[in-house]
Amino acid sequence: MTDITLMLDAVGRGEASPSADLLPLVYDELRRCAAVRMSRESPGQTMQPTAMVHEAWLRVSGGVRERRWQNRAHFFGAAVEAMRRILIESARRKSRLKRGGGQIRLELNELELAGSSPDEKVLMIDEALERLETADPEKARIVALKFFGGRTSREVADLLGVTERTVERHWAFAKAWLFQCIRAELGSERPGPGPVGFDGPNRA
Amino acid sequence: MKLAREEELFETARQMAGGAKRRAYLQEACGEDEGLRRRIEALLAAGDEAEDFFAEGSRAVAGTLASLQSSRGLAGAAAAVSAHLPGEEPIGTWIGRYQLLRKMGEGGCGVVYEAEQSEPIRRRVALKIIKLGMETKSVIARFEAERQALAMMDHPNIAHVFDAGATRRGPPYFAMELVRGVKITDYCDQHQLGIPQRLDLFVQICHAIQHAHQKGIVHGDIKPSNIMVTLHDGVAVPKVIDFGISKAMEARLSEKLMVTADGQLIGTPAYMSPEQGEMGAVDIDTRSDIYSLGVLLYELLAGRTPFDPKELVAHGLDAMRRTLREQDPPRPSIRLRGLPPAEATATAAARRTDPAKLAALLRGDLDWIAMKALEKDRRRRYETANGLAMDILRHLAHEPVSARPPSRLYRFRKLVRRNRAVFAGAGAVALALVAGLGTSTWLFLQEREAERQETRLLHEAESRQKITQAALLVSQEHFAPADALVAHATFAQPTVEGAAVFRSLGEWHATEARWKTAAERLGELLHLDALDGWDVSSLDHLRQGAVLAEGGDLEGYERFRQAALKRYPDTSQAADRILKICLLLPADPGLLAQLRPYADANAAALARADASGDLFMAAWRAMSQSLWEYRRGDYRQAVAWAQRCLNYRESNAPRAATAQLVLALAERRLGHPAEAEAALLAARGPIEAKFRGPIERGTPVQGFWFDWLLARVLLREAAGA
Repeated sequence: MTDITLMLDAVGRGEASPSADLLPLVYDELRRCAAVRMSRESPGQTMQPTAMVHEAWLRVSGGVRERRWQNRAHFFGAAVEAMRRILIESARRKSRLKRGGGQIRLELNELELAGSSPDEKVLMIDEALERLETADPEKARIVALKFFGGRTSREVADLLGVTERTVERHWAFAKAWLFQCIRAELGSERPGPGPVGFDGPNRA
Repeated sequence: MKLAREEELFETARQMAGGAKRRAYLQEACGEDEGLRRRIEALLAAGDEAEDFFAEGSRAVAGTLASLQSSRGLAGAAAAVSAHLPGEEPIGTWIGRYQLLRKMGEGGCGVVYEAEQSEPIRRRVALKIIKLGMETKSVIARFEAERQALAMMDHPNIAHVFDAGATRRGPPYFAMELVRGVKITDYCDQHQLGIPQRLDLFVQICHAIQHAHQKGIVHGDIKPSNIMVTLHDGVAVPKVIDFGISKAMEARLSEKLMVTADGQLIGTPAYMSPEQGEMGAVDIDTRSDIYSLGVLLYELLAGRTPFDPKELVAHGLDAMRRTLREQDPPRPSIRLRGLPPAEATATAAARRTDPAKLAALLRGDLDWIAMKALEKDRRRRYETANGLAMDILRHLAHEPVSARPPSRLYRFRKLVRRNRAVFAGAGAVALALVAGLGTSTWLFLQEREAERQETRLLHEAESRQKITQAALLVSQEHFAPADALVAHATFAQPTVEGAAVFRSLGEWHATEARWKTAAERLGELLHLDALDGWDVSSLDHLRQGAVLAEGGDLEGYERFRQAALKRYPDTSQAADRILKICLLLPADPGLLAQLRPYADANAAALARADASGDLFMAAWRAMSQSLWEYRRGDYRQAVAWAQRCLNYRESNAPRAATAQLVLALAERRLGHPAEAEAALLAARGPIEAKFRGPIERGTPVQGFWFDWLLARVLLREAAGA
């Protein structure tokens, strides 16, 4: 650990940039504790893998005197993106199985809203989220942290340095926006005023 | 935020109980904007369904997580997450135009894959993906800044770096020539190369580094793992890899101290020069590479680095820096003698000899060559990599080498330097004694000459001292005191550090619109560039030309453009920049005639850039070409080039604005006032917006401050004409 301490000292004195210098250490720490956990894990334990990544981060960065950097959010964001990829890969696989498994990639417009499986819903949300990322990155980040990262509004608020109320508000709006975007994309019928003039998302 | 208004309306309406109340509110709030109102109503109507939709999605997510954990366990799940973190990409993934084929290796800061490039040509490349944590944009910007210089490197012992970009998930990547080889120290030991064969490989490496240095490129991270040996028709060929990457990543001390999972050091500080060890040092130059070459030579000879890497970091950073700065390592032959017998025998065996013979082989020339490259004071090292190679070749040819053991006097001086306080008192006594001995005239004259020499050296040392201080101040953005420090300093010797300081100060004055002072500092910068003989100072010419023209110093600008032509007689280099900066203001027929070869070279280079897909450079060159055609009066061609520049997918705001201005000027001459007005309008907006706030320095990708300044100078011409 002396090398890590050495580095952390440098970070503490502001001589090294934490993002560039610490993150590789976090990964290494993560691999290390994944191996340790493997050997003494109790069955039935439910812990979010992203939480585990957080833990590794805190362990490595906890030694630094001040919390002087803003990269926590950056790092958690990366962990959640990783989680998202795993979930999407799995959802794709399952949807392909359901549809006979021939296709390489499932196109969104081949799906329909009404008969879609939960996994297909995940895929739709993922695609719509990409659009939200262009339209409003901050809201997209909140959706990713909550939906794919399983973080509570409180945790997201702490992470992004906003109030819990703001997170809730963005989350409510984003859900409606994403859903509306998916519905417009699929061109399905809808009750009430609909996608006419709804130019938020681009139609492919 | 684009959706802020929508969200505000949505949120307020959502809080309202009745549908009628909501409708009334939205009618009122949206006013004429029918589309907005309908969008909000649709969002509100989606509310409950959206909740259900997301709830079902969340259940699927939870299910997947549960099965992931039940099949792989929690640790396995976490490992899966870490395997999906940026930096790690699944095999088969496309990154830009590269498809990953297999993982080749992993270091502290990146993962290297073998990949296949699909277009414009099909080839295998090595793709290095930098792990999360680097600010992608600035890494790429720093790489772009050096790209032109990197492209000029053409040497059989240097692996090309082709490209840099961002992966879809964010982190930057570098695509480079695929080198299938073994790192040099392993190769030498596996093949039990004797000392002469090792030296032969080393000389080739020196020549490669020399080539890069002549192009103005410092490697910054020379170490065995960055030098691979491959076999070509049975002949061992060393290849230096990772050129430009260390600099793009601003690799710093702390990165060199990264540890792996099992506590091993990656990229040990053992190859780091003393000046690299000083954090915050901004002036890593070619002499730092010479030091690293010295460490490599030392290791090839004695099988160990001058300082033990583990010991170096064992007592903290400060201790490490002190060691690098102050402690002289043992000579290679002595180091060998200090090894435990078994290790010494193994080291000698890998060199096809025994310990006693090996020590005898190293003693003398080779010892001193290595030690000269490893001098703490970089001015005492070999001036160039070539110099180092020549000494090795002299040794191999049994000729006298230039490296010598330090003289008694030199060692005494070093002693004094280290113990200044002690000697300050004693020195006065000694001086009195010497004076008392009586001196002949001859001795007196000798001494005066020595004194003069001393004064000159002292003056130079003072200047360097000032520069070092100023560099530190500049790195902390304390520009004013740095400026005061060097305002009147003059230099007769090249100083890379000094150039960096004057560049920063010139930019500082320019961004605060003090054009005259900016021109003075940049003038000194160009002077230093010239002393150095680097061929990569064309960007500095853009800085100075823009400042002179903007400041209205017409005489200064005339002198400047004549000097620029003298400085770049070779039209194959930076022709587009020379054209652009010399034609910023109208030119007389004489100057136009002088510039014609540059225009021809630029057009040829543009065609090559197009063919190789280097759109960034192609677009810049098209812009310069349009300005050239305009200045010489071929307005149709000027329009054609400007439009071509604007049509490139690769966008850059100041370049586009400048092209629009040339377009406006040329269209007016062609008698198309409507087109001219439209182009002028397109340029005016962004330029005026840019100068409304404080001037930023910018980046190669978004455009530098001087790119904007050039545009503004032309805007004045186009608006006034």
